[in-house]
Amino acid sequence: MKVKEMMSSPVITVSSDKSVLHAAELMDELRIGSLAVTEHKEIMGIITSRDARKAHPNRIVADAMTPDPITVAADSFGWDALQVMEEKGIERLLITENDQVVGLVTRDTVRVRLSELLDPLSGLFRPGYIQTIVEELMSNRQNFYLLFIDLNNFGKINKQYGHPIGDDVIKGFSERIRSLTMPDEFICRYAGDEFVIVSLREEDEIKKLVQALSDPFVISGVQVTSSVGVVKGSGDPAFLSLSFREIVSRASLASSTLKKIQPIAAKFANFSEN
Amino acid sequence: MNSKNVFSRKATLSLKMSEFEVPPMQDLLVIGRKAPIGPEAVRRMAEALSPEQFTIIKIEHPKVEAVLIRNSLLQMLDKEVLISIVLEEAERLINDTMVIRSELKIEVSVKREVELL
Repeated sequence: MKVKEMMSSPVITVSSDKSVLHAAELMDELRIGSLAVTEHKEIMGIITSRDARKAHPNRIVADAMTPDPITVAADSFGWDALQVMEEKGIERLLITENDQVVGLVTRDTVRVRLSELLDPLSGLFRPGYIQTIVEELMSNRQNFYLLFIDLNNFGKINKQYGHPIGDDVIKGFSERIRSLTMPDEFICRYAGDEFVIVSLREEDEIKKLVQALSDPFVISGVQVTSSVGVVKGSGDPAFLSLSFREIVSRASLASSTLKKIQPIAAKFANFSEN
Repeated sequence: MNSKNVFSRKATLSLKMSEFEVPPMQDLLVIGRKAPIGPEAVRRMAEALSPEQFTIIKIEHPKVEAVLIRNSLLQMLDKEVLISIVLEEAERLINDTMVIRSELKIEVSVKREVELL
């Protein structure tokens, strides 16, 4: 989900030499929380209703605004924009396209929109997130690995221990995936007991990750193992012609094949074999 | 008996005139954090009235947000020395909603001894 799908547009502006009172009245009239501040048609800062409340109404906007606003490109992902706002401790970002300010997003808006992509049980993103990431990587012809992780005998765990324990296993395994991956890797709960990781690590590192994911792990007193199917994504035209669905299918088939022959290991799917 | 109301409305004007000093801010202004005019507005005002003659200096201080100071004073004394003296004196008077105008004159006295030929 890109910020241009969440931004409010157009951005309402106020000149830096207007009074804070004028800015506050304008925000009140339009029922908005902020204005972009302009000077000679250039964006100089942002004034929020909070800034306006704190400053004397006689002051000019230039003396109440937050100068040098941080901007992100309209094509940026929502989660990247949120990270920028959290790192900088700011509530609003201006959105630019071709060096022009085209919109504004708030931290709350981005959080709410991103929460729609979250799986409530695991706290991980849903498949739509990974699909966006994979399509972006493919459009940039970047190499990556897609790992499809399937818990072994999850149906039996549910039957033997009950569904609440099954839910605990999903939550515990999600935490385990989080702890084994780096902040710049992308993870989601794909379906019931299936997870997907997209990583830009080198092959040796991927093998280590796969091994760690495959190691037996005890959650709520239940020993859990998983099968991991891996697809290597590249800029190869044959690979680029695949859809996200086909890529996941291949990784999923690789993990299923593995379950039958080798319960604790990983299989690298070769897309050209199929 | 007929009563008739009579109205009279008058206005008295009083006009006081004096010369507008340019610039009106003399040598320095100390601007409080919640003052009705902020540093940028003061900078623009100074620039409009006396171009290139004043500098605005933002200050980390609980009550004072900035000091506008005449450039010629900064040429005579180190900025840090000047600001610390101004703040030391101003913080006794100022609250954060005020703008204080001040006149500051620097007198340099020099005494030298030279060898007589």
